[in-house]
Amino acid sequence: MVPVFVLLTIGLPWLGALLVWWVGNNHPRLQVSAAVFFSVTAGIASLALLFDTSSKAIISVPLGGVFGDFTLIPDGLGVFLAAIATVIGSLAVIFSIDYMRGEAQLGRYYALVLFFIGGMAGLVLSGSLLFVFVFWEITALCSYALISFHNDDPKAVAGGIKALIITQVGGIGLLAGALLAYTTLGTYEISAVLEKSTTLPPALLSFLAFGFLAAAAAKSAQFPFHTWLPDAMEAPTPVSALIHAATMVNAGVYLLARFYPAFAPVPGWKLAVMIVGATSAILAAMMALVAYDLKRLLAYSTISQLGYMVYAIGAGGVFASQFHLLSHAIFKALLFLAAGSVIHAVGTRDMRQMGGLGPKMPLVRATFIIGGLALAGLPILNGFWSKELVLESGLTGGPLWLYLIMVLGAGLTALYTFRGVWLVFYGKPRSTLHAHDAQPAMRIALVPLAAGALISWLAAGPFSQMLAATLPFHKIEASSTLHIAEQVVSEPSTLVALLVIALGLSVWWQRQHLTGLVTTFKGVQNAAIQNFGFETINNSITRAVKNTGEALRTTQTGLLSWNVLGILAGLAIILIILAWGV
Amino acid sequence: MTFSAANVVAVGVLGLLGVGFYGLLATRNLIKVVVALQILVKSAILGLILAGYLRGQVVLGASLAITVIVADTIVAVIGLALAVQVRRKFGTLDLRSLSTLRR
Repeated sequence: MVPVFVLLTIGLPWLGALLVWWVGNNHPRLQVSAAVFFSVTAGIASLALLFDTSSKAIISVPLGGVFGDFTLIPDGLGVFLAAIATVIGSLAVIFSIDYMRGEAQLGRYYALVLFFIGGMAGLVLSGSLLFVFVFWEITALCSYALISFHNDDPKAVAGGIKALIITQVGGIGLLAGALLAYTTLGTYEISAVLEKSTTLPPALLSFLAFGFLAAAAAKSAQFPFHTWLPDAMEAPTPVSALIHAATMVNAGVYLLARFYPAFAPVPGWKLAVMIVGATSAILAAMMALVAYDLKRLLAYSTISQLGYMVYAIGAGGVFASQFHLLSHAIFKALLFLAAGSVIHAVGTRDMRQMGGLGPKMPLVRATFIIGGLALAGLPILNGFWSKELVLESGLTGGPLWLYLIMVLGAGLTALYTFRGVWLVFYGKPRSTLHAHDAQPAMRIALVPLAAGALISWLAAGPFSQMLAATLPFHKIEASSTLHIAEQVVSEPSTLVALLVIALGLSVWWQRQHLTGLVTTFKGVQNAAIQNFGFETINNSITRAVKNTGEALRTTQTGLLSWNVLGILAGLAIILIILAWGV
Repeated sequence: MTFSAANVVAVGVLGLLGVGFYGLLATRNLIKVVVALQILVKSAILGLILAGYLRGQVVLGASLAITVIVADTIVAVIGLALAVQVRRKFGTLDLRSLSTLRR
C-alpha cells in the first residue's frame, strides 16, 4: 500500500491541477469542489504514510544514462514535511473558497496551488538529488506565478520576479551540487552521498557544504538573501500562508537537515550555519518591530523563526529544528490565515488603520491570539516546547554569545507579536472600517490550525521515534513526549528564556515610559525600516539579471531574414570546424 | 570534375539550396517566403534521391522523397492559408510590419 500512498500524495494534487484548469472558470462551483477534493485526499494519503515510514526506496525507476534513478523514499523527514505541505495546503485551499470568491481567473490560481502542493511533496520525498532540484524549481516557479497572481499590479509582478531570481541563486547551487556528486560518486542518491561523504576530497565536501548553505539561505529567506520574502507578500494571503510561511521556505531548512551528517565535520560549517540563522533571527525580529503592514510583519517573523531552525541545525539539534518547523508551520499558517480574514474584512493591510477590531471578529481574534502566543513561545502552546528545545540545543552545541543573541531574539519576538495583536484587535478604532467575522470556509480552516497550535507538541515523542527509526545517518535520539517535556521544564535555560519573553511583553505595557530609550535607538529603528541595507544588495542582483535579459533581447529580432542569417552563420562555423578536422 | 549524372544533380542540390536561402534572406513578403521554403525543400528532396542513388538504395531514397513531398505539401497549404488569413486580418503581408516584438 505504501507505494500507492506515496504516488497519491504527489499525483493527486497534480491530477487536480490539470482537472481544475480543464474545468475552466465558467463552472466555479465544480472548480472549487475539485480543488478541495484533490487537496484533501492528498492530505489523507500523506497522513496515512505517517504510519508506515521506511528508509528504503519504495519506488525506483531507472532512467538510464546520466539521469540516474528516480527514487521516492518515505522516510520520517520526508513524510512529515509532505504531510505538512498537503494538510496545510488543503486548509489553505478551503480558506481560499471564501477569500478568493469572485476573483477573476481562479482556474489559474487553484491549478498553481495544487501544482505547488504536489511539487513540495515530491521535493521532500525524492531520494535523488537531481529530482530534488527538479521539484525545487517547480516550487519556485509556482511561488513566482502565485506572488504575481494579480498580474496587473506592478508591485506584485516585481515581487514575483525578485523572489524567482533570488531563489534561482539557490537552485543553481543545488544543481551544481547534484552534478558534482554525480561526477565523483557516480550517483545522485542522497543516501549514497551521506554514506560516502568521508571518502570525498575535503575541498569538494566543503564546497558542497557551503554551496548548499547558500542555496538553503536563498530558499529559506535567510540572511543575506532575506529581502524577497516581505516583497512576496503581494501574493493572495492563502498563498502567503501556504508557500511563504508553512511549506516552501522550509525547503532550505530541510536541505540542511537532510545533509547535516555529511556536512557537520566540515570545518567552520556549523558555526557559519549558526551565524546565518542567528543574524536572520535578530535582524528580522527588529524589522518586524517597526513594520506597519500586517503581512510584512508576519513575513519578518517567518524569516526570524526560520533563523531559529537554521541555528538549531548548526548547533546539531536536527530534531529540535524539525520540531520547531512543525510548530512554526502550524502557528504561522494560522496567523497568516487569521490575518487574511482581517484583511478580507477591512480591505487594508496597514495596521495603522485597524485597531479595535476584536469585538467585531471574536473568532479571528481568538485564533490570532493563540497563534501569536505560540509564536511568542508561551507555555503550553507548541511554539514554547519547540523554541525551548532549539535554545537548549544551541546552549549545548554552540557558543554562549550566539545563545544570548537568540534569547534576545525570543524577547523581541514576544514584543513584536504583542504589538501586532494590540494594533489590530485592541485600542480605539483608527478608521471607520466595516469589519465582519470570518466566513464559514475560513472558520473551517482556522479552527483545526488553532487546535494544532495548542496540542501538536504532544506528537513530539512519536515524531522523534519516527525520525530515529528511519534516518540511519542522523543519530537522533528516540524519546517519549513525557521525557522531552520533562527535559524542557527541568532545564534552567527555559526559565531564562521565559523571563526574557515576559520582559519583552512588559516592555509593550511600559512603552510610554520608554520614549527616551526609543529615541536613543532611533538609528537602529531607521536602519530596520531601511532593511539594514540588504534590500539594496538584493535589488541590485535583481536589476543585474533584468538588465542582462534586456541586453540579450536585441538578439531576438523576430525577423525571419536575421534568423536565417544566424542559421547560415552557424552552419558555416560548423563546416569550417569540420573542414579543419578538429 | 566530370559531367556524371551524380555531379550534375549535386550542383542542382546546392543551387536550389542557395536560391532558397537567398529567398528567405531577401524577401519580406509572406507568400514569397512560402515559395522560398518550397525551393529549399525541393533541394532537400533532390538530395535524398541523390544520396539513395550513390549508396545503391534507390528505392529507399525515393520513398523518403515521397514522404517529404507529402509533408512539404501540407506546409505549403497551411502556409498559404495563413498568408490569406493574415492578409485579411492585418491588411499586409510584410513580415517586418507584422512582427510585434519590441525592437
